[in-house]
Amino acid sequence: MSSAMLYVLVAAGLFGIGVYGLIIAGHLLRKLFAINIMGNAIFVLMVAASAPLDGRPDAVPQALVLTGIVIAVSATAFALALMVQLYRVTGQASLEQDPDGDD
Amino acid sequence: MNLAVDMLIGAGLLVLAWQTISGRSLFRGIVLFVVFGLTMALAWARMGAPDLALAEAAIGAGVTGALMLVAFRRLVRIRPDQCAQPALRRSRLAVPVAVLAGGLVGVIGLAVVAVERDPALAGLAVTEALTDSGLGNPITGVLLLYRNLDTLLEVAVLLAAFLAARTVFGEDESRPPTPARREVPLVGALLAIIVPLTILIATHLLLAGSREPGGAFQAGAVLAASGVLLVLAGRLQPATALSAGPAFGLTLGLMLFSLVGLAVMAFGDPLLALPGLWAVYLIETAMMLSIAMTLVLLFAGASGLRRSGP
Amino acid sequence: MSASEVLASLLLLTGGLFYLAGTVGLLRFPDVYSRLHALTKADNLGLLLVCSGLSLLAGTWRAAALLATIWLLGLLAATVSAHLIARHARAHDAAGDKR
Repeated sequence: MSSAMLYVLVAAGLFGIGVYGLIIAGHLLRKLFAINIMGNAIFVLMVAASAPLDGRPDAVPQALVLTGIVIAVSATAFALALMVQLYRVTGQASLEQDPDGDD
Repeated sequence: MNLAVDMLIGAGLLVLAWQTISGRSLFRGIVLFVVFGLTMALAWARMGAPDLALAEAAIGAGVTGALMLVAFRRLVRIRPDQCAQPALRRSRLAVPVAVLAGGLVGVIGLAVVAVERDPALAGLAVTEALTDSGLGNPITGVLLLYRNLDTLLEVAVLLAAFLAARTVFGEDESRPPTPARREVPLVGALLAIIVPLTILIATHLLLAGSREPGGAFQAGAVLAASGVLLVLAGRLQPATALSAGPAFGLTLGLMLFSLVGLAVMAFGDPLLALPGLWAVYLIETAMMLSIAMTLVLLFAGASGLRRSGP
Repeated sequence: MSASEVLASLLLLTGGLFYLAGTVGLLRFPDVYSRLHALTKADNLGLLLVCSGLSLLAGTWRAAALLATIWLLGLLAATVSAHLIARHARAHDAAGDKR
């Protein structure tokens, strides 16, 4: 097994864990963890599966992933602001349908 | 032996990811997420991508972790009993869907790895074209010479995220009035050493970014770290009004990049074709300052900062 | 394997042992203060040993100076954060259950 294959498998595992977390998480912060883990899985996939160029991975996917990391932190920051505001307004930090509406 | 190290890191990543999403305590989840990010940085270094390792450690683990912690603290301020978590939802579909999604990623990846390929044509072209541009680091080269529109829009997205967060968030009423606490003596000493050193490291990352691993994003995140420290220590206080300094800092990167990118059209060059190495350094410096300012303001949850002076 | 490589491996292994001891202490010790004690003391020494082992392996003064800087910075961060955590714990009198 080559290390590229190993990291592809790790990416698959991470993506599965992320999807699972996204589905079962109640709290929005947990959903954010899950989304970030899924993003990281795709980053690993892009770099690990790119053809190596004198020992290092191709620069083009690396540049794309670098852009992706910054976009991910921007989106996370915005999502965190949304979450705090939702909590302020409704008193809950999840998207559950709650019949009482008070917690 | 080498594969064993990779396996250890891979297993660590999987366990950390699992613990992050399944642990009971939210605070613990944030800490584990930061550890996950740092392990990712190790994995990037192992994959031969030191630029990504730097970015992941500074942005993926550091900045994201700090933002999550500060959001968690805001939740705690609104209601202290954050331990009473909404339980994990039960879903019969969760496991099959997760296995399918992970399997899909794995199959795609393994198929790509298994295909016999010509050695990265785009990568080869980039490396050849960059040798005469003076940019020894192919990633900085790709970002600023070939995907310059992406990079410009990336800075725009960061700014947009900040503005959107400000709009949604409004003023942080839950923030207690300016704490009149005494500063711990050691913290002053720490700041006196760390802040100048961080500025030095950020400058180094920026300048080295044209040849070695580094670049505006990594440098901006490192610079933001010292800003976050200053906010935490109370040396910089969140301000409600957006003053000229921070506003200038926020938009500097976007403005300068767009201006230079448009100006070259007057000389018959295509949009965003950078005229030389000096322009790369100029734009990267502006981007670094903007990124740092945006990240610090996102952390402070404020439109501006003011020095808390006597 | 040359003499310096043997020495470097010894240093690295000993450093790893100190890290192990520090981590075991962090997990097993009962309260905040003794945990901090285990973490900062053992890990800083471990970091020193690992850094000196690595600079032996690298074999250049430049690498040695960089690694020494890393150790000093780690020392600084550990000192201040341990101080702040202990101070916070004492102020809240929460010693005993969680960090």
